[in-house]
Amino acid sequence: MNGAKTCPTCGSEVPADFKFCGKCGTRVDGTTSSSSSVPAAKTMYFGTNQVPGRAKLIVIKGEGMDGLSYQLAGNEHIAGRSEGAILFPDDPLMSPRHANFIYRDNKLFVRDEGSVNGIFMRIKVPTSIPSGGLFLIGEQLLQVEPSPPDLGPQPDAESTYFYASPKRPSKMKLVQRLRGGEVGMIYRARGDTITIGREGNDVNFLDDPFISGRHAQLAISTDGQMTLTDLGSKNGTFIRLGDETQLAHGDYVFLGQQLLRVEIA
Amino acid sequence: MLPTLKGDPVITCSRCGKENQDHYKFCLGCGNEIKPAPKPATREPAPLETARTILPPEAKPVSGSLGNEPTPLPTLSPPAAGKAKGGIPWNDSPKMPITPSNGGGVASGMLGAVTPPPLTPGSTDPGNWAAPRPMPTTPQAQPASAPTPSPAVVASAPAAVEGTVCPNCGRMVSPGFAFCGACGTRMNVAAAAPSPRTMYMSGPTATPVPRGRIVLIRPDGSEGGAHPLHDGENLVGRSQGSLFEGDLYLSPRHAEFQLGPQGLVVKDLRSLNGVFAKISGEEPLESGDVIRIGQELLRFEIIAPPTALEDGTEVAGTPNPGFWGRLSVVVGRDVDGSAFPLFGDAIVMGRERGDILFPEDGYVSGTHARISLRDGRVYLADVGSSNGTFLRVRGERTLPSGSFILMGQQLFRAEYK
Repeated sequence: MNGAKTCPTCGSEVPADFKFCGKCGTRVDGTTSSSSSVPAAKTMYFGTNQVPGRAKLIVIKGEGMDGLSYQLAGNEHIAGRSEGAILFPDDPLMSPRHANFIYRDNKLFVRDEGSVNGIFMRIKVPTSIPSGGLFLIGEQLLQVEPSPPDLGPQPDAESTYFYASPKRPSKMKLVQRLRGGEVGMIYRARGDTITIGREGNDVNFLDDPFISGRHAQLAISTDGQMTLTDLGSKNGTFIRLGDETQLAHGDYVFLGQQLLRVEIA
Repeated sequence: MLPTLKGDPVITCSRCGKENQDHYKFCLGCGNEIKPAPKPATREPAPLETARTILPPEAKPVSGSLGNEPTPLPTLSPPAAGKAKGGIPWNDSPKMPITPSNGGGVASGMLGAVTPPPLTPGSTDPGNWAAPRPMPTTPQAQPASAPTPSPAVVASAPAAVEGTVCPNCGRMVSPGFAFCGACGTRMNVAAAAPSPRTMYMSGPTATPVPRGRIVLIRPDGSEGGAHPLHDGENLVGRSQGSLFEGDLYLSPRHAEFQLGPQGLVVKDLRSLNGVFAKISGEEPLESGDVIRIGQELLRFEIIAPPTALEDGTEVAGTPNPGFWGRLSVVVGRDVDGSAFPLFGDAIVMGRERGDILFPEDGYVSGTHARISLRDGRVYLADVGSSNGTFLRVRGERTLPSGSFILMGQQLFRAEYK
């Protein structure tokens, strides 16, 4: 393997005299300096040729432009920054081994492989969101937490009461998570809902160009169940997946900074 | 803090209820002569810890001696939420019309926040100071119509009745009383019946005149009782000194005041609620510092720039639009309410004007305080508020004479020569 090259797309070793990466098909002969730019829209085949009923992941590159796509022809397909077949080596928000796309009974599932930043899926209907659940709206990573029950003043072990700011009851709060993990702002709901958008809502992100005027709404029911609803936004509302989740044709999934569309023939 | 050793028979004072050892001739609580009680077994069998919480302050003022109304006594029942808040119209209106924004949206967002309707007249900027908390009191103890919350403490009412000032603690003692009801100091050596047994109490001649004192400042600005400050260490807490006894927001051992040649240094003894000093001028802030303005308890934290994890992954999130700090409203022990990002050169807090608004807090001035960033350091300053801006003492702090301090639910002024 003297003089072997490294494929810029998937990281595989490519023999020196090969013009294309045998694994992912990227041109590696050096004549195309486009290897660093976004590959043109094309379909990569893993294993065998496209099989009917099998899925394809299409990388969305902004403004609806489709980028690279990955044919999911095996049984399991690891995606990550440095492991697996679907590699995004330049995405710092991608864990080395991030997600796994799995077939079970001819159905496609996605599973978080213990990634730091998780997998987010665009919601199509009002969706239940758990306590501490994270969701993505435009550039905003937000977290919702129900307020803990008010137990009233509780003295400590020495029978001393804790002094706190006056109580202003709120059923849930919305936490903005900044890149790096810090909390930005925390907004406490005034009623049973929080509307989020660019203007005219309870919480407005004026300068986030990816957020629609009225984008999404959180609601909490009397029994504390919280629901996230997209209000017909352009770019969608994405909820972080907990368990292994089935994917359907047309689903959108965020891994790291990569937005992927699922196509099932 | 047990009044008696275990197993010792006790005599409960018929006047003030304090338990005294059976060889005492005079009640340690009120100075009343103790008649040998035939039934010392009437003592409540309740567990002591519980009893301590339920019981009124041991140095319950003798009727009339302090010119005091029967004080609302702390009970185990939790403070009635919403009660005894004085004239502050708490409601569920928005705490702050927050419009968080990204980057340059600062101006149109938080700075442009709309101020909710004004508070009812009379509820704003009351007097000198006012932020006593509703104590865990019985609801009827404090009339809801009171214009300002009255601190439910022992020494708060004016000493309207004639009497003598205790040389030790400064409290008023009724004429004819041989002992100070608050601290037990003998008031008049000649008048006190000599006891056949030795009483280990310091008389006025044995007590050096205290060089300083901690004066209670009532909500209306007048002075309440005082706690003496002697040279050396002076311990203050719920179980240290009658001025503090009724305040369940004080730890039993709350703070230590060290009076030395260099002045007065207060040291927080890891109390639950801390000691807050009123600031003058600009005060450097550190991440984790806790601030009091009006009734708001706020925690300042620095927002650190993101760093990658060990495996090179960065934690995803909203791109930071320039937030360098965060101010969180503390609504309970380890519970935060709203949090406001800090950005730009300075952020102003106030009830009506500024970037962070507390429209419901009548003790916050229209514009109250400012947090600014300069040369990589963060500073807190009061901007002419009525009630002042207070910073929780980290470890210890030197207090010039005349300093205002918040401990528990009361405001004090420390004075010394």
